[in-house]
Amino acid sequence: MGKPDRQGAADIIRDAGGEIVGRTRLQKVAYLLELAGLGDGFQFEYRHYGPYSEDLTDAIRLANAFGLIVEEERQANRGGRYSIFRTKSDSGPHRTMERRAFAAKAAKIDAVELELAATAAYLVSAENCEDPWGETAKRKPEKADNGRLDAAKAAYRELQKIQTPRSLPAIG
Amino acid sequence: MTSLPRSQRVRDPLHNLIEFGSDDFESVVWRVIQTRPFQRLRRIRQLGFSELVYPGATHTRFAHSIGVFQNARRLTQIIKARFRETGRQYESHWARVALVASLLHDLGHGMFSHAFEEVGKELKRKSNLDLKMVKHEHVTDVLIRHREVSEILNQAFGSGFANDVADLIGRGYPKRIYDSVVSSQFDADRLDYMQRDRLMTGVQNSGIDLTWLLANMETGTVQASVDEENIGEIETFALGPKAAHAAETYILGLFQLYPTVYFHKATRGAETLFTALMVRLMTLVRDGSAERTGLPNNHPFVRFAIGPEQLDNALLLDDTVFWGALSSLAEAADPLIGNYALRLRDRHLLKCVDIRERLLAKLPAPPPSADTESRKKHAALLARLSDRIKLEISDWNGEKFTNLPRILIDQAHRSPYKRFQDSDTPLNQIHIRIEDDKILDVAERSAVVAALEPFELFRVYVDRHDDECVKKIGLIIDGSIENEGKDDGQA
Repeated sequence: MGKPDRQGAADIIRDAGGEIVGRTRLQKVAYLLELAGLGDGFQFEYRHYGPYSEDLTDAIRLANAFGLIVEEERQANRGGRYSIFRTKSDSGPHRTMERRAFAAKAAKIDAVELELAATAAYLVSAENCEDPWGETAKRKPEKADNGRLDAAKAAYRELQKIQTPRSLPAIG
Repeated sequence: MTSLPRSQRVRDPLHNLIEFGSDDFESVVWRVIQTRPFQRLRRIRQLGFSELVYPGATHTRFAHSIGVFQNARRLTQIIKARFRETGRQYESHWARVALVASLLHDLGHGMFSHAFEEVGKELKRKSNLDLKMVKHEHVTDVLIRHREVSEILNQAFGSGFANDVADLIGRGYPKRIYDSVVSSQFDADRLDYMQRDRLMTGVQNSGIDLTWLLANMETGTVQASVDEENIGEIETFALGPKAAHAAETYILGLFQLYPTVYFHKATRGAETLFTALMVRLMTLVRDGSAERTGLPNNHPFVRFAIGPEQLDNALLLDDTVFWGALSSLAEAADPLIGNYALRLRDRHLLKCVDIRERLLAKLPAPPPSADTESRKKHAALLARLSDRIKLEISDWNGEKFTNLPRILIDQAHRSPYKRFQDSDTPLNQIHIRIEDDKILDVAERSAVVAALEPFELFRVYVDRHDDECVKKIGLIIDGSIENEGKDDGQA
């Protein structure tokens, strides 16, 4: 039997440096890991904030229940809430250096920029979209302005520089 | 000579009279209702198998969709009036897009709606088969963008209108205040189905005070964010302070509809039979064993199983096709199809063993007055036990499987009100304006709403004469409780 999904979910947080801020960031880091051939097989589909895995959401809930991670809920500065996910320990076999480097780098990207980058990557890899950045901007105009789309492109290029088993799709 | 459009009237059990005017916009809406895809909704019941529990619940997605349009009209009128009062520009294009989207939001639903989507998820899990046409969002999108609906809309309102409608529905979350009419926790859809489902099932709880809610509906500005990042202000609906209790009742109404109607054990039991039957049927046909299903080769199910990517094959499927096929399916050579078809046809459903309820009987939840930490710990305990029990039951089921699974598992959870968290847009929320003109999420205003926990279910279904199986389930539950905390939770 392979490791349960809950352990896979906890491993993402551990490999990202032990902490991931926000559900969106967690989902996008996990998605990009899958795309780079560094994931545990979570299935993703398109939801309104980009690629999303229901299995990962369930796995995180169980990881929390089994004490593999701790979820702390915080109030954002100007309304709303967000979660911080932390691993309880650094135990267990670590994955490759590439995975840790990739996860840690992705987890440090601004949440909106990461959402834009993951969405563009999804559009090109799952939907063969010819203009993924343009389509991303069209679908998320309120998030893509103020220079965020360019910042997302730059962040994505940085992730592409990391050696991974599968190259992240090229996005023009 | 072409006749001039005239107004049309529909009598509805919930809204009474729904009128479609003879003006350019509403006469086009009426034409859309006459299209084949929309008329198909007459053959898809809003509540699927609920009729097995509530005989009156035979209402269709057709009636519901027209009701949603009626509600959407009322909501857009509120935006118009409030914007006029405050001197803001009412954007009629986006209001019209929202109105048409409200009418068409369910256009792509397949037979038995969400139960059919479960078939797709099961086939994806078991065979890695990606059936796009079982996803109602996808079918809705294709029908609006590419078929006769698109032609009517684009011809009347300009090219791109149909795409704007499809974009709004497909996005699934509101970007503008007009969009919240179609897609939010206080949208025209929910305002219709909560009332219609209550009316048609006959349940007496879950009533809402729609008149008062709409009379107190205002607009206002709140913050939007992604995770911890703020992304600016956004205009949204907000209820005035006098509607705070009506908002609470509205959310509690949904909280009660889940256990009473949507998650009723017999309804869910029928859905699990349907899902298992259709998964087997699809698998047999795709494996070249269609003759074992009891269906002729040109039956819509066989055609869909062979060509699931074709929209026309998906559109052949509706509730009536399934009910009509049951007698043939009951004679299938395949034992699962034959057995489950008979059970559904004659309402000989499997017996439900409610594992979550059994766990709660043995490990009662802390009282609502208990501290949050205790309640969280109890929820985590139930989650751990449920996970282990599910695994053990699945293993036992696999060992004992011959022609039929001994146990069918059903697990689900729903929140009656989703808190504004992470990247959910505030437009999805229900807001209350409090006395100093500050706008709060209803969960911050109401202790009752804040305390609501997701409704969770974990049930299994077995043959009512299978005493060995029921006994085994009891042993698995007891064993899991006994062993709780004996491992490190890492496996």
